[in-house]
Amino acid sequence: MSNIDKHEITLNINGNSTSLTVEGRTLLHDTLRRAGMVSVHAGCEHGVCGACTVRINGQSARSCITLAVQVDGDEITTVESLAKGEELNIIQEAFWRRHGLQCGFCTPGMLMRVTEFLEENPDPTRDEAREAIASNLCRCTGYQHIIDSVIEAAARLRGEEWSDDAGIPARELGDATEVSN
Amino acid sequence: MKPPRFEYLRPDSVGAAVALLNEHGEGARILAGGQSLIPMMNFRIAQPSHLIDITRVPGLDAITDEGNAITIGAAVRQSTVEYSPVVKDRCPLLVEALKWVAHEPIRHRGTVCGSLAHADPHSELAATSLALNATFTVVGASGERQVPAVDFFIGPFTTVIESGEMLSSVSFPVVPAGSGYAIDEFSRTHGNFAIAGGVSVIQLGADGKVASATLSMFGMASRAFRAFAAEERLIGSMPTAEAIAEAADLALVDVDCSADMHGSEEYRAHLGRVYAGRVLTSAVARAQGGSK
Amino acid sequence: MGLGGMNKLNWIGRSLPRVEDKKFLMGRGGYIDDMDLHGMLHVAVLRSPFAHAIIKGMDTSAAEALPGVVAVITGKQAAELCDWMPDFNPEPNLHKWRVLADEKVRYVGEGVAVVVAESRYIAEDGRDLIEVDYEPLAPVPSARKAQEAGAALLHDGMESNVAHDSTLAFGDVDGEFERAAHIVREHVYWGRTAAQPMETAGSVASYNPGNGMLTIHANSVALTNFSFLVAGTLKIDSNKLDLVPMPAGGSFGSKFWATRATVTAGMCSKFLGRPVKYVEDRLDHALSCDHHGSEREYDIEMAISADGEFRALRLVCTDDYGAYFQFGLGTHGNAMSQVIGPYDIKAISYRAVGVLTNKCQQGAYRGFGSEVHNFALERLVDKAAIELGVDALELRRKNFITPDKFPHKIPGGNVYDSGNYEAVLQEALKDARLDYWRAEQAKAREEGRYVGIGIVTQQERSVYAANEWWFFRGAEGVSSVPESVSLHVDALGKVSVTMYSTAFWGNSPETVAAQVLGEELGVNPDEVSFAYQGTNKGLPGSGPGGSRFTVMITGAVQGASAKIRDKAIKIAAHMLEVAEGDLEYVNGGVQVKGDPSQRKSLAEIAIMPRLFKHQLPDDITSGFDADMVYDHPYTTLPTADRSDLGIFYPMMAHATHIAVVEVDVETGGVKFLDYIAVHDCGTVVNPRSLDGQVIGGLAQGVGQALYEEFVYDDEGQIQSSSWLDYLIPSAMEIPEVRLGHHETPSPFTPYGMKGGGEGGRMHAPAAIASAVDDALKPLGATRATHLPLTPERIISMVNGH
Repeated sequence: MSNIDKHEITLNINGNSTSLTVEGRTLLHDTLRRAGMVSVHAGCEHGVCGACTVRINGQSARSCITLAVQVDGDEITTVESLAKGEELNIIQEAFWRRHGLQCGFCTPGMLMRVTEFLEENPDPTRDEAREAIASNLCRCTGYQHIIDSVIEAAARLRGEEWSDDAGIPARELGDATEVSN
Repeated sequence: MKPPRFEYLRPDSVGAAVALLNEHGEGARILAGGQSLIPMMNFRIAQPSHLIDITRVPGLDAITDEGNAITIGAAVRQSTVEYSPVVKDRCPLLVEALKWVAHEPIRHRGTVCGSLAHADPHSELAATSLALNATFTVVGASGERQVPAVDFFIGPFTTVIESGEMLSSVSFPVVPAGSGYAIDEFSRTHGNFAIAGGVSVIQLGADGKVASATLSMFGMASRAFRAFAAEERLIGSMPTAEAIAEAADLALVDVDCSADMHGSEEYRAHLGRVYAGRVLTSAVARAQGGSK
Repeated sequence: MGLGGMNKLNWIGRSLPRVEDKKFLMGRGGYIDDMDLHGMLHVAVLRSPFAHAIIKGMDTSAAEALPGVVAVITGKQAAELCDWMPDFNPEPNLHKWRVLADEKVRYVGEGVAVVVAESRYIAEDGRDLIEVDYEPLAPVPSARKAQEAGAALLHDGMESNVAHDSTLAFGDVDGEFERAAHIVREHVYWGRTAAQPMETAGSVASYNPGNGMLTIHANSVALTNFSFLVAGTLKIDSNKLDLVPMPAGGSFGSKFWATRATVTAGMCSKFLGRPVKYVEDRLDHALSCDHHGSEREYDIEMAISADGEFRALRLVCTDDYGAYFQFGLGTHGNAMSQVIGPYDIKAISYRAVGVLTNKCQQGAYRGFGSEVHNFALERLVDKAAIELGVDALELRRKNFITPDKFPHKIPGGNVYDSGNYEAVLQEALKDARLDYWRAEQAKAREEGRYVGIGIVTQQERSVYAANEWWFFRGAEGVSSVPESVSLHVDALGKVSVTMYSTAFWGNSPETVAAQVLGEELGVNPDEVSFAYQGTNKGLPGSGPGGSRFTVMITGAVQGASAKIRDKAIKIAAHMLEVAEGDLEYVNGGVQVKGDPSQRKSLAEIAIMPRLFKHQLPDDITSGFDADMVYDHPYTTLPTADRSDLGIFYPMMAHATHIAVVEVDVETGGVKFLDYIAVHDCGTVVNPRSLDGQVIGGLAQGVGQALYEEFVYDDEGQIQSSSWLDYLIPSAMEIPEVRLGHHETPSPFTPYGMKGGGEGGRMHAPAAIASAVDDALKPLGATRATHLPLTPERIISMVNGH
């Protein structure tokens, strides 16, 4: 067996073509983290939990059971691509307002999965949303607020206003003394 | 949990892949989606010396409509099959079976042939290949051979593929018009391995009797298997509830059920009979309803 | 001024989006594994394949020769580099545990050596090259077998594997049982689970031999008060260790006083003089995390009067503890805080037997032992209703402690601060549509389907104090459990908060502090900034365990805010040339009472003590900062004769949970049709954030009840070391919860808050078991007393086993 199994690969990470040298065995999540995409979290490293979910050529996938060499030349999308500067995108903001996260560790994987799901199904039922996110484990929320967030995000993406159940950020409330409790 | 070192190779033809397999011997393994193999490598249960990535071999990513069968190349991802219009039209049971396989992000990467070659005893696809009488094309240095599904699976994670050989495609016969089919399983959590499950395809004659029947079971023994005794009980009979119940009781005759923390032999045997009954009932109902 | 909840609240009580969240949503959470130091090395731990074995020898030469491997440290070497691990017992030397096993391994997965290498990949390659010579010993796979005559001893210094056996009794227990019209008995088993957060435990240690400082960043609770114990283990001066908290990607108890990753990384860094990262992988965390949760068997009985009054409770609890005894019987002391549940039981006897076995040791998991007691008690109450032939709800109601009785002293000494159990129950029943579900149940039975409804009423103690550690011992123990903050107001009036201990555990410490600051200083919660400080420079902190953080951080913020307000008024008095007594702090500024036209904003005031010393009176020092160390608001010591063990967990939340399930009696599968929960944890700071805690806890309760278990076989081999077998519920297994809150303020806390972080897991298992029983009633099934209720177990219940 060769001790040096190095490969030059090129990944398009969030729109940036990135040349990397990896071992054949280097897992994609480690490669992406080394390239600065620390949103890609290792939760179980055996393909069960989905915390490491990224999109490969648009399709959600577990980066902990994918070798970097397998996706040579492919487009990889991570959570780092979602916000514009300080501004969350609609799905992120829906998760924020509907408390779709607690510890935040499963959140990037969940967001990548939900982004894909809402592209395929812009007007999902709660049951459809529930099944879609069942690929990704969350230990904090019991999932209910994540499903709320998915439904909220779908409505916003369809052009609807924030629902009454969506929290209003304190900054938008300004001086809350004027707002009834 | 990091995989051990190996050498990664990416041949550009089936011939080259086979040559590499033969060159590197027992330690070499085919890599397709890797959705079963890489987790085992992360646990260091699997420690291949060479991985031969066949996903970019031209032609292996094709789904081909052969008329009486759908042939799926070794590099075709499960989700590609799941969303293939031709598969949905000609072999819809396969689409239903795929819905039970893990989760969508896994199916985006995993391949149908990879799953079959992996021969997990819990595999829905293995059972589906048995129920549909699929044919496996195995390629070695001396050429290719066709293996019927019933001969393909030998034991846990073991098939007739020998060292130096690879699975290049699998052909699923189309589901005949007017037949009923069903797949169902019991797993403890969504998308997890089935403790027990069954797949059945039933055709009824004009007299309403069962003209042909297949029943395969998975998740409960050392490999997916055909329940021939159950099939024989039904063929030629009216598919009454009693007949189905009797057939279901025969589904696990002579089968040594496996046991683990999720279920004892007895429980698996019980569940196996339950699911044999459930899929036979559903398949018959669909056949009677004239559904595709 | 928003003091003590006297005035209308502007920010508390709002479901604000959390101030913590944006960075997590952007993938910029800053978790421990995101930390990278120049020249940092990585660790892999070699683990024992045997449950019980002598380590006869080890050959590390091949690993050491592997390029990229920097060092191998065996258990023997580690025993020289480090002292024992911290152990909260009177005689830790009897069952001492080390960061790596030195002479003997006591469970599958216990670490025996570490490989330090340039990457985790190489470290694992090196690990594979270590040869260990084990001499297997007879395994001790369960508490029962551990107590059999001739059982192998885990720790040679002990006379048996029983580490502790004692009884706490209060009131006339024997008399009550003699006089009882009915005695109801139940046997209950609670399976071994663990918190299993999505992020494992991890540390990055960096030792500077120049000044002797060892800095360890970790996602585990860094208890400021107890960091000296870790320093002792690492053989370093206590003032040379800085444990710096990092955000935890979930904890639920698992990263509570967890020291293994910290000591592992610290030992390696100190030995090598280089930065070292050790983040557990999932296998590390499942096999040998700092602790699994409880595994217990109960024999529990109740003395009941002729008219259905609960008179006395007596139980023997056998704890299958695992190999080491770090937390001792703390988890039973914890259960003592709410030992009578919501019922007015007059006398109790609680015998706890802690048995050491060849398993990973147990410790904290959301409930810390109270959740197990809740399950046993409610199962007993359900059985009592059956045996007495009365309605289970009416039996509960009859025995509820009524609102007029609070504060209520319970047997043992703890006090329940406040509550209105009937009101909570009413609210739950109002939402539950029980008539509808009873009709559905009847209809289903006709169709051969089995639907069941389970209702439980339970306590959730909150605001942890240290007393539980010494309940089962004679000695007086530690009584300090403070929490601290520092507030800094900069020259522009912007407010920063520094917190101590591992405040962010997946909870909402920043949101709570920000909302309280909104009340106390009139600042916008989104405009507050936050920092966390390590133990070396830290004010006292006891961490968020035991549902204490909301109350404790609020008390600290409130106290520090009062200091800021006082100084603001002093400065404003000078600026406005008005007597201090004529001023008040209102809406983020100081103004003349009743005259908002004469006002200085916090920003106008703040610049003065920052930049203009000589423009202020001499007695006003520079700076605009305030520290506040907030002690637990209500604890007492035991009486000298220990007939009263004192008050230690008085903020008593309460809940009613109603589960509606359907059981497939062919497969044993359980599915939820409905779930209703109403909680009362006093004044709610952020309802939606609390909802998330309750539902998340409830999901873990579902896991406990139906799916999760660390199973060890008769050889002590673990069967569920991966998440393929240890079944974390997915979205498809968790019900939609219809959740309500009732608010009975605590008289003892700021704003009347109580804790609510553990509730869901404390209540769901009993509700689910009760619902399964109800579903299977027509089949004459045995009762759901053994968790988890696996499908196979349910089938065997249906079959009468």
